[in-house]
Amino acid sequence: MSADVILVIVVCTALAFDFTNGFHDTANVVATSISTGAARPKVAIAMAALLNFVGAFISISVAATVANDVVDAGVITPTIVFAGLIGAIAWNLITWWFGLPSSSSHALIGGVVGSAVAAVGFDAVLTEGLVGKVLVPAVVAPILAFVVAGLSIGIVYRVVGKQRPGIVSRGFKHGQVISGGLLALAHGTNDAQKTMGVITLALIAHGSLGANADPPFWVIFSAATAIALGTYSGGWRIIKTTGTRIIKMDAAQGFSAQGAGAAVILASTHFGFPLSTTHVINGGVMGAGAAKRVSAVRWGVAGNIMMAWLLTLPAAAAIGALVYGFTAIFGSSAAGPLIVTVLSLLLIAALFVRRAERGSPVAASSG
Amino acid sequence: MIASLVPAKELLETVVASVIAGLGVTFAFSMAIWGVARFADLSRGERPLAAAGAAIVAGLGLASVGAALVFGIVVMTSG
Repeated sequence: MSADVILVIVVCTALAFDFTNGFHDTANVVATSISTGAARPKVAIAMAALLNFVGAFISISVAATVANDVVDAGVITPTIVFAGLIGAIAWNLITWWFGLPSSSSHALIGGVVGSAVAAVGFDAVLTEGLVGKVLVPAVVAPILAFVVAGLSIGIVYRVVGKQRPGIVSRGFKHGQVISGGLLALAHGTNDAQKTMGVITLALIAHGSLGANADPPFWVIFSAATAIALGTYSGGWRIIKTTGTRIIKMDAAQGFSAQGAGAAVILASTHFGFPLSTTHVINGGVMGAGAAKRVSAVRWGVAGNIMMAWLLTLPAAAAIGALVYGFTAIFGSSAAGPLIVTVLSLLLIAALFVRRAERGSPVAASSG
Repeated sequence: MIASLVPAKELLETVVASVIAGLGVTFAFSMAIWGVARFADLSRGERPLAAAGAAIVAGLGLASVGAALVFGIVVMTSG
């Protein structure tokens, strides 16, 4: 009975995490399309939500990596997964509160690794999967997007540089409908799968699924729905703050940045690499900007990404470990996760009330 | 030690696929826009043969983009 209650809490927490992931990342997916005037905000956001939903169905490679290649599913319990999720959510809240850079994806994996180490020891961590499928791609992917976007915009200017700007600009605005759609699809497929992977890991730990099982359809559907609803909800906040958040670029740069980001995320997803999609998209945007004028790039963003790389995994792991330590006091009963859930909800409510009273803008962490 | 943990083949294939897809689609779409722009200019200059050539380039460019998208989705869903 306790195990069933914990499993339900884990599934609900994971879907809430997925919702906030979509909520945070709407800006990254639609900003360039809105910035260049390629799509009206409402259309861009609705399309992004729909394609995030569709994207969640096109692959399960990343889910398989999260479920089977990062920690040893054979020694994991639903409580460990729960503690990892709380570690990730807590780190995202802390970075949101202090305006520090973060990565939801890295936080999720860090949290699960930390709680697994606290519960079982370092034997629970599959080093080959963690290093080879998470850490190395996390560094390579944004750099790759930067290079591809930079080369792409070079090709664009060489091919159409002498044509009339009006036609070229209109053409690339139409192209951004495709590249923006692909980016939303790519975001949905990589980010929703992380939630699928965590829920699948919990189901394996609970005994509902066998080892190395794929996510069941209801897991895929619910993760797809959560990220799509999050994307759509986050959009209304973005409409209000569009003028301050987005990066000014021309339509060709937007096309190149989105195309590079989508290509890198989709290729990585195919091989099961769980990425920080925001870091990849930022890499593409900076590459397209740097190829035109180095000084136009917000290099501070690159510094933030570096800081996020260094901080997020260990910090989320430490919190995940602490949460597991607390829940372990209550043994295998559901009391620990229930108390942590209630405390977390109260803390989140208090943070939002405090933030609303101060009237400060919300600084989203990245996915 | 880290080198032995990295799935070099998958990582290399990711890099190659990203570069080919990103640059290939951009080049094809740029050619399509070049074709449309040249078609507009050449049509006004009453050079129908050259304009038809530009239109063909534009069509091929768009067709290549469409084919690349379909290929990409098929690869993703099949693997």
